[in-house]
Order: sequence, then structure tokens, then C-alpha cells
Amino acid sequence: MARSCFSILQRVTLVLVLATAFLGGPAQAQSDSPAELISRLAGADFRETERIVEALAATGDPAVAPVLEALGEGDLFYRRSDNAVFIARRGGAGYLLTDPLTGADAGEAGRREVTKVRVNNSLRRAVRSAIGTLTLQSPDPGVRMAAAEAVLKSRDPEAIGSLDAAIGREQNERVRTVMERARAAAVLNSDASDADKIAAAQTIAEKSDQEARAILMAASNGASAQLGEALAYAVRQVERDLAMWSAAQNVWYGLSLGSVLLLAAIGLAITFGVMGVINMAHGEMVMIGAYVTYVVQEIIRNHAPFLFDLSLLIALPLAFVTAGAVGMAIERGIIRFLYGRPLETLLATWGLSLILQQVVRSLFGPTNQEVGAPSWMSGAFELGGLTLTYGRVWIIVFALAVFAVLVLVLRHTSFGLQMRAVTQNRRMASSMGIRTNWTDALTFGLGSGIAGVAGVALSQIDNVSPNLGQSYIIDSFLVVVFGGVGNLWGTLVGALSLGVLNKFLEPYAGAVLGKILVLVFIILFIQKRPRGLFALKGRAVE
Amino acid sequence: MMMTARFLRLTGTSGLILLACLAAAAIYVPVANQFIPETSLFHVSTASVVVFGKYLCFAMLALSIDLVWGYCGILSLGHGAFFALGGYAMGMHLMREIGPRGVYGNPILPDFMVFLNWEELPWFWHGFDMFWFAMVMVLLVPGALAFVFGFLAFRSRVTGVYLSIITQAMTFALMLAFFRNEMGFGGNNGLTDFKDVLGFDLQADGTRIGLYLLSVLALALMFLICRGIVLSRLGKVLIAVRDAESRTRFIGYRVEHYKLFVFTVSAMMAGVAGALYVPQIGIINPGEFAPANSIEAVVWVAVGGRGTLVGAVIGGIGVNFGKSYFTGALPEIWLFALGGLFVVVTLFMPKGILGVLSQWRRKTAPAETAASTAPRTDEKAEERA
Amino acid sequence: MKMTKMLRGSALGLAAGLMLSTAVQAQETIKVGILHSLSGTMAISETTLKDAMLMLIEQQNAKGGLLGKKLEPVVVDPASDWPLFAEKARELITGEKVAAVFGCWTSVSRKSVLPVFEELNSILFYPVQYEGEESQRNVFYTGAAPNQQAIPAVDYLAEVEGVERWVLAGTDYVYPRTTNKILETYLLDSGVAAEDIMINYTPFGHSDWQTIVADIKSFGSAGKKTAVVSTINGDANVPFYKELANQGIKAEDIPVVAFSVGEEELAGIDTAPLVGHLAAWNYFMSAPTPENDEFIAAWHKFIGDENRVTNDPMEAHYIGFNMWVKAVEKAGTTDTDAVIDSIIGVSVPNLTGGYSAMMPNHHITKPVLIGEIQDDGQFETVFETPGLVVGDAWSDFLPDSKDLIADWRKPMNCGNFNTATGKCGGKGS
Repeated sequence: MARSCFSILQRVTLVLVLATAFLGGPAQAQSDSPAELISRLAGADFRETERIVEALAATGDPAVAPVLEALGEGDLFYRRSDNAVFIARRGGAGYLLTDPLTGADAGEAGRREVTKVRVNNSLRRAVRSAIGTLTLQSPDPGVRMAAAEAVLKSRDPEAIGSLDAAIGREQNERVRTVMERARAAAVLNSDASDADKIAAAQTIAEKSDQEARAILMAASNGASAQLGEALAYAVRQVERDLAMWSAAQNVWYGLSLGSVLLLAAIGLAITFGVMGVINMAHGEMVMIGAYVTYVVQEIIRNHAPFLFDLSLLIALPLAFVTAGAVGMAIERGIIRFLYGRPLETLLATWGLSLILQQVVRSLFGPTNQEVGAPSWMSGAFELGGLTLTYGRVWIIVFALAVFAVLVLVLRHTSFGLQMRAVTQNRRMASSMGIRTNWTDALTFGLGSGIAGVAGVALSQIDNVSPNLGQSYIIDSFLVVVFGGVGNLWGTLVGALSLGVLNKFLEPYAGAVLGKILVLVFIILFIQKRPRGLFALKGRAVE
Repeated sequence: MMMTARFLRLTGTSGLILLACLAAAAIYVPVANQFIPETSLFHVSTASVVVFGKYLCFAMLALSIDLVWGYCGILSLGHGAFFALGGYAMGMHLMREIGPRGVYGNPILPDFMVFLNWEELPWFWHGFDMFWFAMVMVLLVPGALAFVFGFLAFRSRVTGVYLSIITQAMTFALMLAFFRNEMGFGGNNGLTDFKDVLGFDLQADGTRIGLYLLSVLALALMFLICRGIVLSRLGKVLIAVRDAESRTRFIGYRVEHYKLFVFTVSAMMAGVAGALYVPQIGIINPGEFAPANSIEAVVWVAVGGRGTLVGAVIGGIGVNFGKSYFTGALPEIWLFALGGLFVVVTLFMPKGILGVLSQWRRKTAPAETAASTAPRTDEKAEERA
Repeated sequence: MKMTKMLRGSALGLAAGLMLSTAVQAQETIKVGILHSLSGTMAISETTLKDAMLMLIEQQNAKGGLLGKKLEPVVVDPASDWPLFAEKARELITGEKVAAVFGCWTSVSRKSVLPVFEELNSILFYPVQYEGEESQRNVFYTGAAPNQQAIPAVDYLAEVEGVERWVLAGTDYVYPRTTNKILETYLLDSGVAAEDIMINYTPFGHSDWQTIVADIKSFGSAGKKTAVVSTINGDANVPFYKELANQGIKAEDIPVVAFSVGEEELAGIDTAPLVGHLAAWNYFMSAPTPENDEFIAAWHKFIGDENRVTNDPMEAHYIGFNMWVKAVEKAGTTDTDAVIDSIIGVSVPNLTGGYSAMMPNHHITKPVLIGEIQDDGQFETVFETPGLVVGDAWSDFLPDSKDLIADWRKPMNCGNFNTATGKCGGKGS
């Protein structure tokens, strides 16, 4: 975050930072050199470490920032033999050491030769705030932004001076806005005059988010009548905006839940919806996809870590092929003997799902496996008053993309044509020269492969364990049946509307009751439309 | 003579064998438990009596499923719900029977309510202190749910897979509901720690054997009721509905009435099975509502032989015996065995164990024909959905 | 023909099964029952405990067994099916004639087997932290009671982190319900306002946490330092933490302290965004003691995988097993009554550098550790109670149990003695 140096060193600022201390003796600490202070970190308890952090920030030495950062990240260690402090990163037989101030290489150390300088949450907060104040004038706007946000969170009144200086120099509009917000937050937290505070409250209320509400509410503790009124007004303003956005936020949550349902159900819309196989092993295809992702990530972690961000993209085709191949094997080995006996496919595939779960349990163990998120899927961004997480955005995009590809395959390829022909009139299709056996196998493979692809996406939000498939199977069937068996668009609309319905019920009824109400709704809906949302019409039905 | 012939017609050959086996089990097990010394190979331990009792309850559940699925083509994936509701009705009575012997010593409130600081008994717990009331509820609650559910579903002609899936949704919804502690049914832990029933100590060997005998009796009775239904004129209509629903309707039968009747009866049977299950097992919890349990029960029927009644009993007992045995003998890989069994049965024994048996019998004695009531294995298009 | 053979095979199986429950076992070995789910939803947690028990028994046999006999583990799979737990327990006790059973994880599985152990008079060691409100003669609770986990954690957050506003989030079952009830009373007693406590329950395996995490965020934006006390169970944790990380809730802003999240649960998550969130346990794999190093090394060797972690319930089994061994040696027999009498007061080393003792209420003494999650999936201890905490079977913070105590020693011999009425048997009428 703050590895760069400062453009200009401001002694004043740094001395002010010093006062972030709640205990420590600043006067005494000031006289120590950074190197001395750092050496004292060896074996220090949390309180002592906190004092040293403040003293370090107060030295104003540019080399201190990386040390603080390493401390916050838990990369600061001391050697047991001589209590010398180093920045240590995993590597070699244990750790690679570098000198904290000069960054010079200091050799290696085994795992047991060094001990970590321990940090806890309040220390991390102190470090974050100290680094924030120190780097407000970094040449890198990204760093300045992060610094401003750190100060905004710390609401440290002592930072007002350095914020003023930084705001005066700031050219970047967005960074300055955040800095001004941070300053307002700090003012509200200081013992400034009521007039200043009221102005600050207005600055804060300009952006209506949770943070603003938190700052304003915190400031109203022990405020004078006049200030209290202004703050309450500002809070109301923020809350009104938040309430407006929360409806939109619910739609978003609903769409995102719906996209998960869509992903889980879309493969089933082929194997069950199109082929009529009550495929209880569908969930296990999803699970296979998730495990393929895990295996791919393990290989990448061990052999080519630089590819990690691409791991999901690499896993996609592999998951499709693996789950598809398993699906085709199932179709050839079992399902094909059961055509025309749909309810019996339920029993055979139920048995299969037990076997597949146990296979995975034997191969990978019963515990959860770690599937990491690539950097482009982590974190969130704000859109108006909405907080959108990248992971969810990509899952929605991905679900819709899979859906679109599937529709295209069914509508516009010769395979899709053959597939539809076989499901509508097998004997006629056969006499037209379509290899119906082969088409069956490919169709089932396609459905399973898509389930596998869904598994890649679901590995990002759920447990990767042998039970993964079980948790989606019922929802998947409900979505397909609700949407109308045999109709892909029904599955799309069904999944998204059930997702949104669920998320609108949740705030009022709670998570459990919400889900029960959705189930009751589906049961009643089926009474009204016994063949689902988009029923197939005509003679094909009977 | 007339009576015997009539009875024979009612039971059928395989049914007669089944009843004979049940009678033998009713006599042998208590005797072997009480009078044959423990060291003997023929001794039946109390643990085994409990386990056999459990198998019998599952056989009743399987029987009730076979009645609707095998004879009327209604594949219910939610029969576990009726079983569990019957069990809860019984459990609530047993809970009230505990009285002041709970760990907190509250004479009215069950332990879990004391635990959640409830002040008074919720309204739906009243009356369950009376045995007869609980027994009525055992029949009434599953029956009423099945009636309402069936009334709605059959009236709107929800059939085939759609019906299967919404029955599954029903049991899933009930499971979630019973998991909620606010519901007043003990949440995840369910009802447990029962002491006695009608004054008999539930942990005494005598009570165990009594409950076991009751289960044998109930199973035999249910079997006869089912046979009675399927052999009657009503049963003929049911089979017609199974094989060609639309045609039956066009002939002029009110298909939905027949379906509703048999669905409700079947649910009540499942409820009784659950009520007998709970005192023997000693716990009822929302896990019994899990859709997987209902699916498994359907699998028992398929394994035994759908549409034969006797097959359902064989499947219910056989599969569960296999499960008990393999979870002890092959704890690491028993799921392979169980899963494999389901696949093999559907592939190679489409009519289940009983089908194989009668096929084998036909080979040795070609004069006899297989049960004509077995369903066609190639189901009609409308069920294929 | 093939089918006939199969049927004959299954008939043989039936006969074998009957024999299992009837045959009298030769007494050259002492059998130890292991009752943990190896399939179904709980396999994820319980399989590890089965392996840990196998390792402990192997180690004991290498040391020469017990009373001159070898120990023989008997493993069964109750398949996460609660009634099956009772059936399997009965099979272990009457069929296999085991001397003691180590097993169960969920409360409902323990409740399911309780009557069986009582009726057949055998011994169960239960290794998981639980809701308390129970003390049964035949059961030894080696996991934490609420006062050995929840209350020290809340104290830590209030004192060190200055938390004033609390979200109590849990899965809807008896452990979170009780723990939250106890915590709520405790917090209200210590001056927290009712509107500063938010309680939320979710179903088992809940996977869509968007709304709830957003609610927590909004509850946390009322200007007071907020923390989440999580009793979310097992499977639901991974998506919960993933959602926390994605919505950017950092431990520095709203810390989450969990009572059901250990090393094993974290093994399924990338913990880098979770650094600083807390857990309260009685053991962490990172505990820097020679006993622990030895245990971890033995575990890695036994399981053949350097990456497998150890966790708190494993330590509970380690303590429980060693206590049982010591009690059997003290009594000179594996007879249930003798062991139940001799085990009280037995003290064995735990893995965090101290000793744990079995108390008369069948709970044990333990240190309480609070740890912060690190980026390698381990916990770093940030707080440790100065002494050992005695497990309290009946919570002092619930109105109906505050007068109850348990003491299974001779004169009292009661699991729910009422100190107010001076009678055994709960509150009384």
C-alpha cells in the first residue's frame, strides 16, 4: 500500500500522528531512532507494540512506512537467537529475511528460528491509521486514496492538520472528495465548534452510505441541542437515501440468487427438461465441476502460480469435458436402458449420486477443499448507493452467457436440431437418418457438462465438499418445474423470479420463513398452472 | 371353507406367505428374546427386537407408498412427511407423558420449552396429554394434509413429475418449518428423552416386545386393507387411472375423487407407521422430513417390486436390513453397496425382487401366472412429461 | 440364476447379522467403540475424529495396551442419521461389548444416544463444544460448555476491542439458541442496551448470505463499535466468510468471533481477507508446546498428509481418551461403574501446556484461548485465560438452570440437583 516514499516530509504532521497514542510516552519515544524502536519490537506485548508503532510514525523517517506495513500484514519477525527484527517472507527452507529499514537481504531462517511480531485487530487499526496519515501526500493517487480512506475510517482528529495540507495540494478530484470527507469525519470526532461540526455533517451527508450514517450517529453522542438537531437531520437524509437504494439492492440480491439457481438448474433443464430423465445425479455433476476447479487450482498453485488469475478460465473447459464425459458414460451405461421408464431413472440416478459422492469422498476426503477467488472476482464496487461484489457480478454474467450459448446451440446448430428432433419424435428422427443413440448420449453429456461448468462458478460461493450437489438438487428441480419442463426460457424466468421473490421476502420473514413461503408459493402456483410458467402447448404434451 | 377361500383370494399366494412369515416372526422373536439363552445362536437380543420393529415401520411406509404409486401411478416424493407427522403426533404425547420427570422438573412444559424460556404451552400442544387424542391426531394430521394437498393438486390435474416435485417441495417446506425453534416442536433436536407410554416403561423389554408385536399386527392389517382396496372395484379404477388416466376420465369416472381417497388413506397409513416408529426409536426430529428420506422410501418399493404390496414389504425390510448391516460391517464403503444395489435393481430387476422371484417360480412351475396387477413398465406418455 | 445366488448371499448376510448380535466375543482385547458419521452431512467434521481416535488407540497399543490387553477399535457409520446413532450405539454396546464409546458431534445425535447409554449402562465421551444444560451419569463432556468459550470471548471483545454493539448470529438449533440466550442475559446484565443487540438465525447449510451480511453492515453503522458473535454451524460458514470478505467487512471494522469455526473449517477458505477475525476455543493447532508438536507430528505421520490440520475436538478426544485410560488403570477394570467412579478427579496433560481434570459434573477444566485468523488458515492466540475454567453444566445465566448443579460423586449422585429446593430432579413442581 505505502511502499513509496513521500514527496515532501512534513515534520509537523508526523509529530501530530504521535498523539494518536492513548497511552505511551511520546516525549521519550521521540528521541529514539527508528532502528532502536524496531529492535524493541522483539518480544513486545500488544500494548508495548502499539506504543512503538506510534513512536515509529512520529520519527517521520520515510523508511518507516514499509516496516509498519509489514507489521500490519504479519510479515515482521524477530530472530530468536539475537532478537534482531526482520521483514520475512515465506521462501527457501523457511523464511527469506530482509532488513526492515534498508531492505537489504539478510539471509534465510528456518521456521523455528524466528518468531512473528504479534499483532491483533486494534494494532492493525493503529497501523492502518498511522500509514494513512503518513502517506496522504504520496505521489501515487491510488496510495493517497487508500490513505484518505484509512483516515476516514479512523476519524482521527489529530490528522486534521495533515489532511488540510494534503487537500490544499490535491489535484485529483475523487481523491480530494474522499479527503474532505475524511476531514469532516475527523472534525466531527474532535472538539471543534458546533458551527464547524454542522458544516462537517453536511459534507458527510453529501454521500449517503452506511459509513456516513455511522459517522453521524457516532457524533451525536453528547452533542449540544443545536448540533444534535443538525446531525439528526443529516442522519434522516442519509437514511432516506439508503432506504431508496435498499429496494434496488434487494433486486440485485435477488438477481444474484436467481443466477445461482439458474446455473444450478440449467443443466437439469436439458437432462430432465428436454430428455425426461429424472436425473438425481445432477447435483453430483455440479460437484464434479467444482472439484475439477479445485484440482486445476492445486496444480496451478504448485507449478505455475502466475496463472492463478486464469485458473477459472482454464477449469471451465476441463469441467465441461469431465462432467460431460461422466454424463455420457452414465447415459451409455445406465440411462439408455431406461428410456420410457422415467420414474425408474430416478431410482438408478439416485443410486448413482450416492456412489459418486462416495467416490469423491474417498478420493479427496470428506472435508471442504479450498478454492480461491482470482483477483478479478474479489472485492466490491459501488454503483450509486448499491454495493456490488465482483464475484456476484461475474456469476450473473456467466449464468446469462451459459444460457445464451445453450439457446444458440439448441436453435442454430445441426446438433441442436437433431436433439430436438429426437426428443419430439424418436422414430421419425431415426428414419431421417439421425443416429438417435448418439444424439441421446451427446444430449445427456451436454446437460452434464453444463452442470459441471456451473460447478466452476458455484465453487466461488459455496463449500467444495462431497455434499455440494445435494444442496442444489431440490432447488434445481423446483426451478425447472416452476419454469415449465422442456422450456429453457421458463428455466431462466423461473430462476430469476424465484431469486427475487426470495430476497424480497427475506427482510420481512427471515431467511427460513422466506424460503418456506417460496416453496408454498411454488406448490400453489403449480395448482394454478399445472405445467409450469411456460407450458409446452399442443399434442407434444400428452 | 367359504371364509378360507375368500381370505385366500384376499391375500393372494405371496401375501399368504408374507402373513405366515409375519406370524412366525411375531411368535419367534419374543420367545427367542425371552427364553433362549443369550449364548445360543438363536437368541434375539433386545437391540435386534428394536431394529426389527424399525424395519416393520419402514415396511408400512413402503406399503403406503406402493398403494399410491404402484396402483394409482402417483409417485409421491413426500411420503416421509406423513410418516414424520404421525411420528410427531405420537412424540408430542410421549413428551407430555414425561410430566415432571424432565431435567428441569416442569410438570407441564417439555424441557426444550423451559430451555427457550417459554411461559406456557402453545395451543397446538393441548390435548396431547390424552392418549386417545394423540391417536386421533396420528391419523388426522397426515390425513388432513394429504386431503388438502391432494384436493388442490388432483383437481388441477397436476400429474406425473410435476406432482412428484411438488410433494418433494411440501416435505422440504415442512422440514424447514420444523427446524425452526419458534415452531414449538423442539427444532433440530426434535422430541426425545421419552419415558413411558400408557404407563409402560419404554426401556423395559416387555414394552419393546409389545411395540414390536403391535408393529407386526399393524403391518399385517395394513397389508390386508391395501389388498382389500386394490381387489375391490375401486382398485380396478385405480389401476385404470394408473395406466390411462385420460381414458378413465373420458369414460366418466371422477378420477380426482379416486386419487384423493387413496392418497389420503395412504397418508394415514404412513402416519400410523411413524407413530409406531417413534416410541421404538426414541426420537423424532425434522430430519425425518428430509426429501432424501422420502426418495429412499420410494427406492425400497422399487427394490421390492412396485405394484405388488408384498414387494414393498420385502423392499422396506430388506434394504433397511442391508443398510444396518453394511454401516456396521463396511463403514467406509457401504454407500457404494447401497448405491450399486439401486442401480442394479433398476437395470436388471425392473419388477424388483418379487418380480425376479415370480419369474423364477414361473420357470419352475409354468402353470402359474405372475401377478397381473403389476404395472406396465413402459409408462404412458403423459407420465413421461 | 444369478439372482438366486444373490438372494442366497443376502440370506447368508442375514444370518451373519443375527450372529453378530448374538455371538459372545472372546475377551483377549478391550474394545473401544467409535461412533462418528463417515457419510452424510456430518462426515465433513466427524471423519477426522474417527481417524484421531484410531491414532490414539494405535499409540496406546504401541505403549503396551491397557491392563495388559490390546485395545481394539470398532468403527461404525451412523451416516449423519440421528436414529441410526441410537441403533449403532446399541449395537456397539450389546453386540460388540465395547468398554467405552467415543463419538457424536451434533447435539441431536447425543440426545439420540443418551437413553441407550443410560439403559445399557455404558460410557460415552463427547468431544464437541455444546450448549450445556445437561449432565448425564454415563456421558463425559470433554468439549467446552458455554462458560468455557462464549463468555470469555465476549469479555475480550468488550475490553480489548471496545465493542459496544453486538450481533449474535447463529444457525437455528439448540446450541446457538442457548449460547445466544446466555450471552444476551450476560450482555444486558453488564449494561448493554437492548437495542444494541441484534439476534439473527439462519437455517442449516444457509448459502446465500448477501442480505444478512448487508444487515450486519448496516447494524454496524450506528456509530458504535460493533462485533459479530457467530454460532453459525459447519457448512454455512464458508459462504458466510466468503460474503464477508466480498462485501469488504474487515476484522478491524467489524470483527467476527466464532465458536464453531476451527482449523478444519478454515481449510476450505482462502483466509487472506479474513485475517483478524476471531475464534474462541480451548485449543489451537498453533499452540507452542512440545506436547502439541508431538501430537501434530504423530497425526501427520498417521494420516500420511502434511497438510492436514488438528483442531479442538481432536484435542478433546485426546484428553478424553487419556482420562479413560488413566481411570481404567486406576480402577483396574473396564467395568462401567468402576470407571465412572474412578475417573472423577483424574487429571491428564492437555495440548496447550497444562493439565485438564475431570470434574464431578462430568465436564472438564480447560483454558480458554482466543485467537485471530491468520493468512495461512491458522489461529494466533491473542488472549488466554490466566487459569483453567471449570465447565459449568448448568448455566448461571438462564433462569431455570441457575439453581441447578451436577455432582456424580457418592452422596449426591445427581445430574440436576436443585440447590434452592435441596432436591435432585430439576426445578420441581
